[in-house]
Amino acid sequence: MNTLIVISVLALVVLYLGLFKAGKSLLPVSVMGLLLALGLAVAEWNVNPAPIYKGMMLFDNFAIAFSAITILGTILILLLSKNYFEKISEHVAEYYTIILFALAGIMVMVSYHNLSMLFIGVEIMSVSLYILAGIKRRDFASNEAALKYFLMGAFSTGFLLFGITLIYGSAHSFDLEVIKQYVLNNANGGISPMFYTGLSLILIGLCFKIGAAPFHFWTPDVYEGSPTLITAFMSTVVKTAGFAAFLRLFITCFAPLADFWVPTIIVITALTLFIGNITALYQSSFKRMLAYSSISHAGYMLFAIIGLGNAAINAVLVYATAYTIASIIAFAVLILVKKQTGSDNYEGFNGLAKKNPFVAFTLTIAMLSLAGIPLTAGFIGKFFMFSSAVAQYQIWLVVIAIINAIIGIFYYFRVIVAMYFKEGKNLILATPIQFRFVLAVSAILTLVFGLYPTIISELI
Amino acid sequence: MILFYLVSLLTITFSLLVIFTKNPIYSVLYLIATFFTFTIHYVLLNAQFLAVVNFIVYMGAIMVLFLFVLMLMNLNKETEPMKSTLIKIIAVIAGGSLLVTLIGSFKQLDALGISTINKPEIGLVENLGKVLFSDFLLPFEVSSILLLSAMVGAVLLAKKDKTDNG
Repeated sequence: MNTLIVISVLALVVLYLGLFKAGKSLLPVSVMGLLLALGLAVAEWNVNPAPIYKGMMLFDNFAIAFSAITILGTILILLLSKNYFEKISEHVAEYYTIILFALAGIMVMVSYHNLSMLFIGVEIMSVSLYILAGIKRRDFASNEAALKYFLMGAFSTGFLLFGITLIYGSAHSFDLEVIKQYVLNNANGGISPMFYTGLSLILIGLCFKIGAAPFHFWTPDVYEGSPTLITAFMSTVVKTAGFAAFLRLFITCFAPLADFWVPTIIVITALTLFIGNITALYQSSFKRMLAYSSISHAGYMLFAIIGLGNAAINAVLVYATAYTIASIIAFAVLILVKKQTGSDNYEGFNGLAKKNPFVAFTLTIAMLSLAGIPLTAGFIGKFFMFSSAVAQYQIWLVVIAIINAIIGIFYYFRVIVAMYFKEGKNLILATPIQFRFVLAVSAILTLVFGLYPTIISELI
Repeated sequence: MILFYLVSLLTITFSLLVIFTKNPIYSVLYLIATFFTFTIHYVLLNAQFLAVVNFIVYMGAIMVLFLFVLMLMNLNKETEPMKSTLIKIIAVIAGGSLLVTLIGSFKQLDALGISTINKPEIGLVENLGKVLFSDFLLPFEVSSILLLSAMVGAVLLAKKDKTDNG
């Protein structure tokens, strides 16, 4: 709860700093505030497992772990924002404020214990993102991204809300614990048919939010059109939060009904993997490739929802961490390259390694991690995901996933090949100190989690 | 009960007209009629607060906003491009499946017997207020963040830039 309060107040403080033209202090204040929020979140570890405020929120270890990841991801992304927003317009403080509001929504999403809180959390996050996607007002692609995201998001919220209503109609409560008891008490045939419909609709709504196929069609355009930094935020922090919300609901309430929804999720997972990976192969833009790769990673993370149980929570935690830090590196390098060359195609990366060995090296680590090569965090993430699926005897799904992982290696290596083995314009990237810091920290974390996975894999 | 069926019939007719008329202005007008029938439904359910809010906010404020946007952007012509047949077929199949699922589950519900709420005064303003400020205090407060975020964003997107040409 303290975390949520700190982040909300921080957003207001930043807004006022903008009013007083304290442009220079925006970034330090935001980062310090987020570190404070992170500290407060970690301080509640193992402390307070009872739902608070009449069962509205529950700050258990699950919520704290995901809060910590999302806050860390946001800090890393904010560090990359140095001189980024200034180029778009002078309202820099508002951009920070809206990002922080989105994070406040994410805090609600990872710690809700009541479906009404889930809905409000999802909405706070989504409304902030619709705005962030459209902050480049003179840019057609950005406008298109904002409008498309808004229409699709509003549509999917309709599904989510209708689903929640039907669940309320059958269980007579929004509270997760009550819904769980309802499911357990009526497990042998007494569950209202309305409940199943509600479950399916919630499933559809959440799949929209995490961008799983066949509800993924908004993702590439929105990710490509939005400003790169916002895309980084959307495809890492927001996606993690979506999965946390998904997992929390399904593990707490719907686990006894697994026979009903697991086949659906399996089909969705397989579709997501194939569509994401195969389409990513044909992209000539690095940014669009990352958009499709984020769809395919959503597919891998869906494994956890099939797996259920504590092992699955750990698996999603590891995977989300690995994916977040690796993606942040990729987007950071993309921002640098785009600043110099003006395009986000693969060609921009040609011969990058000659003059910028450090940047090229960190990007290589990130790509290896995304592809799931051993000794990186991405491999550990995939390993846990697959083993949680094997534990549920979903052998065919794992086979499909491994085929897709191999397809993935191909397009991730294209970047590495371009950087090291192709002749380019020998451009020297201007790398500000913050970028160096973020790249170094993320690369080190990727390697550390790859070598010592037990640091985070046994948390919950 | 007869009143309920009559109003429901009107609701369905009006909402179908919303999507079948070609002229956006007529669509909006039918939408107003649909919302009005919703208000009647709320009154029948003894949910006075919802009825009033629906009447003022949806029928009043939001619909005026709709009409204004339509007039300002001069959309009152039949400018909407036709979708391809394939998309239409897909949409019909998807919508039809949803309809069948919903009808199926509600029909089965009928056989199980509907659980009635035996508190007829539940929708009154007083009770709603009590619930909102006791059990649902936190969501009520947190939604202020949602409104604030939307407000900041609206100002941000609508405000004129110094660097802008327009």
